[in-house]
Amino acid sequence: MLHNRIIQFLVLFISGLVFLSGIKWGFRLSDYVIPSLNDIITTAKNVYIPYSRDMLETIIIAIAGHMISICMACSIGIIGRLTHWIGDLIKAGAYHVQAYPVVAIAPIIFILFGDGLFPRLLITAMICYFPLLLTFVGIFTEPVENVEHFYKSTQMLNRILEIKIRAFEHLQKILTVIEGSATLAMVGTIVAEFLSAESGIGYRISIALSQSDMAKVLVALFMIGLSTALYLTFLEKIGSTIQKRLSKS
Amino acid sequence: MISINCNNISFSYGHKPSILFDGISFTYNGPGFHSLFGESGVGKSTMAKIISGMIVPHKGGIDCQKVTNIMYSTNQERFPGWQTIASHYNSVLPVHKHDLWKSMMSDFGIDHCHHSRFDQLSLGQQNRVNLIRYLLQDEPVLIMDESLANVDEHMREKIILLIKNQFPEKCFIYISHHVREVCKFCDQIVVLRHPKKKPQVISMKGQNIRDETSLDLSTLQKNMLDLVHAT
Repeated sequence: MLHNRIIQFLVLFISGLVFLSGIKWGFRLSDYVIPSLNDIITTAKNVYIPYSRDMLETIIIAIAGHMISICMACSIGIIGRLTHWIGDLIKAGAYHVQAYPVVAIAPIIFILFGDGLFPRLLITAMICYFPLLLTFVGIFTEPVENVEHFYKSTQMLNRILEIKIRAFEHLQKILTVIEGSATLAMVGTIVAEFLSAESGIGYRISIALSQSDMAKVLVALFMIGLSTALYLTFLEKIGSTIQKRLSKS
Repeated sequence: MISINCNNISFSYGHKPSILFDGISFTYNGPGFHSLFGESGVGKSTMAKIISGMIVPHKGGIDCQKVTNIMYSTNQERFPGWQTIASHYNSVLPVHKHDLWKSMMSDFGIDHCHHSRFDQLSLGQQNRVNLIRYLLQDEPVLIMDESLANVDEHMREKIILLIKNQFPEKCFIYISHHVREVCKFCDQIVVLRHPKKKPQVISMKGQNIRDETSLDLSTLQKNMLDLVHAT
């Protein structure tokens, strides 16, 4: 599982480097625009300690934001399952909020809350929660007739049981969307750091951009890819453990 | 006495241009093992769902006496995936019925399935474990829509006799394509026919045997011929 993810990432990263080298060679660009492999390795040796620290901070915020968005989406999915007006209101509100690009709303968040931890967490959660919300709303509002029928006939079906049945029947779908939204959480955190922060790998990229230092950007991208691969592997491992336990118990 | 009166029922599915039921009426009287019979596509399951209140007919209605809730079981149902058969029964049946489900599983030939999950069972075993949980409810009427499908003939007949003897106060409406079984075990047989045939419903009497010794082969053969002609 882990080695597959890392191999996939390395193949992608090396392909990117080859593509850049191709552009450099094709347009006869200087090392200043696209650095040589030696420059990238030298830069990596120089910056890997502060970049690793920032990467760790970014991944922690991404995971925290991801967990918050899972809880938010699950809660709204459960409330949205209700047929009365509160459920409809929450569902409509959630959809309307998502109609705005989060990047466009981000400046308001930074103006109100500054550039600390909270706005980064909020933006991360907002970016990755919409696919989660759609999945949870879909799952919790879709009856599993062939399981629920007996409970309805015997009037034993309560809300908790209904949610349990629907969540269990769509467990694979839930785990897949959680894994899929993990990459969005990482994107959200980096975007937030890029826009306005004083630490984190997104901040490092914004500095590298202002210095036109592509070697630093590539080192940061390598760390982001590696961290995302590790996080996705961790989520896949949790998912497969849950499924194994449920099938054994 | 239990009675289920279907009065002037009319119904059609929105996506189909033709009418499925055009003002049909029939009655099941008293407890016992009755049948709703007919060819595939005549609307047996739809009628069963109308009787159980899952579908509302466009016209007409169901009048019941001494019945508050009509249960409908099919061979499409599943147990929750996180429970074994035993844990599911224990969660949906009252404590005083826990010994009963164990003895019924034994009688139904599935006593070795206690600790299996539903999806680990064969189709015939799944249908039997599903039927047991319905039989042990307190409701007086149960519609069995192909509830014994994929069960071998010998076991099916054994189960029907067990049900008739163990629950004589209940009313069962058995939906099956087995002519011999319906004629042999059922009391009232309501035959549903294609909407173009008039009348769309014919009521007949089955032999309604309670043990194998009371079977009259010549009557059974006559009933089977009548039933086949009626469809």
